[in-house]
Amino acid sequence: MSAHDTETKQGMVAALKSLITFNKDIPVMPLILIGLVLAGIGAVTAVIVLVKGHEQMYAVNREVPWGMLIGTYAYFVITSTGLAFIGGLGHAFGFENFAKIGRRIVVLATLVLLAGFTQILMELGHPVRMIIWMMLSPNFTAPILWMGVFYSIELVILALELYYAFKAHPTEKDHRTAAMLGFAAMVVGTLATSNLGFVFGSLTARPWLYGVHFPLFLVVSGITAGAALLMLVHNIAYRFSIPEEFKPSMNALAKLMGGGIGIMMLMYVWKFLTSIFTQPAGSYESAMALIAGPLAANFWIGEMLLAVIIPLLLLVTAKGNTTRYGIAGLVFMIGLYFTRVNYIVAGQMPVMRAATDGSGVHANVNGLAIYSPSIAEWGIFLLGIGAAMFMYFSAEKFLDLKTPEHH
Amino acid sequence: MSQKKYGIVLDAKKCLNCKACTVACKFENGVEVGDEQYRIWVAEKELKGTFPNLRLDFEPSQCQHCENTPCASVCPTSATYKTDEGVVLIDYKKCIICKACMTACPYDARFVSEVHNAIEKCTFCYHRLPEGREPACVETCPTKVRVFGDLNDPNSKAAKLLAKHDTYQLKPEKNTRPRLFYIIK
Repeated sequence: MSAHDTETKQGMVAALKSLITFNKDIPVMPLILIGLVLAGIGAVTAVIVLVKGHEQMYAVNREVPWGMLIGTYAYFVITSTGLAFIGGLGHAFGFENFAKIGRRIVVLATLVLLAGFTQILMELGHPVRMIIWMMLSPNFTAPILWMGVFYSIELVILALELYYAFKAHPTEKDHRTAAMLGFAAMVVGTLATSNLGFVFGSLTARPWLYGVHFPLFLVVSGITAGAALLMLVHNIAYRFSIPEEFKPSMNALAKLMGGGIGIMMLMYVWKFLTSIFTQPAGSYESAMALIAGPLAANFWIGEMLLAVIIPLLLLVTAKGNTTRYGIAGLVFMIGLYFTRVNYIVAGQMPVMRAATDGSGVHANVNGLAIYSPSIAEWGIFLLGIGAAMFMYFSAEKFLDLKTPEHH
Repeated sequence: MSQKKYGIVLDAKKCLNCKACTVACKFENGVEVGDEQYRIWVAEKELKGTFPNLRLDFEPSQCQHCENTPCASVCPTSATYKTDEGVVLIDYKKCIICKACMTACPYDARFVSEVHNAIEKCTFCYHRLPEGREPACVETCPTKVRVFGDLNDPNSKAAKLLAKHDTYQLKPEKNTRPRLFYIIK
């Protein structure tokens, strides 16, 4: 090895070391440990699932093939692209309030995306085959193929954004590159999320899921989730006492989140009215399963109360109180989980064939399919939540996530 | 000569609900035991009339081998494909069990097979066709509810039945254009 190589290597090590910040006064150690424990429980569950097989361990069935894990996957990856969208507004469109928290945005978006990947890897029967056969015999009409393409590109863009976010002594050219990357992450992320909506929206067999609603709803609710999560993590990082310098950013996020919930409410109204008015076959049963059927508690308490009403009330009455923003963010993120699982399950509740004798179809007395997540599915959910918490709060503890001034 | 186009014409009125077809299918194709694992079924239809004038009909069915195949359209690895004769098959080694095809199928004709470690469904017993044999469900039926054949061959029994009778297909509103035709009487 030449002297130059050694010097370069030492330089890289020094650069990496310089990223690590110890003894930072951020109260996240308990959250790191909780994340580690949850991820550990999830990892043990994952091993059991891999040994015993998905069919033995998961409660998804012939009538409801997509369950909680698809919902959890959607929850994470859509939030990630929502974060990337907000980052893009900051970097590429000059929204200084978002640019000021750019480093935290890109770290959070990357780690939340990785947490989402744990869910899809444990949901798919053959994730390794997927990588091989999506390349060797891709079906370009399949929305899932594009889902893989878009989210893979998104991960690469986020990795590059991370590099520029942490680069020491960035030049003017670096800032321009970061702006382009921010724009790319925004565009690809929006494509990825709306295409994920099309994974469901392409299903003519499932009237509740079919159509334009979910591709758009997922984008809107994803950006809303990005704003909510950012307000939550800033509150945690600054012990629910956010410094003055970030208050304009928090106010901007609160407006974005409030506006997002407003658009979500509008979309809810028309989705439900079109699904109930004159009782269209399939979507009517799904809507009623949510309003007054097996999913009613999840819908009213989780989706409506926690993801719409309470956060909106908190935001409206906050009057600049950033602690309230943080609580609104937390409540919204809990409620949004129900939102994600609800719509997927509701879409599959109307059975494809009547559950008469001999049909082989399993349904309840109202003719709706039956699904309740198994313990293993909850375990894999913990893997995702735990991994996200462990990775992000470790980053919060050991990296400097405060965006340096660059203007 | 035109391309072969396999299909089944069913006269459900002849069905006794003996379930011999479902048993034959399981044996022929090595379908595992389990109440979710089946390729074909015989569903009871709604009881018609009022006592004592009652009627109970049955509807045997399976994968419809649709001409417009939603299951193949959503398969990311092209594991689900259509043969030249229009039979919809699954290449098990390419299947990643994403279950998109299960959600896309309007007929609930697919399931996860632990035998193949992939999604499974009716194949019209494609492995028997080169030997000139009919699908197991067709061959075993005591009342010949199902008639299998090349719908493009005017001399096939299936094509003749199709020409002679009015028929209906399941869920025509989905525009899948099934290859299973039910005789209306």
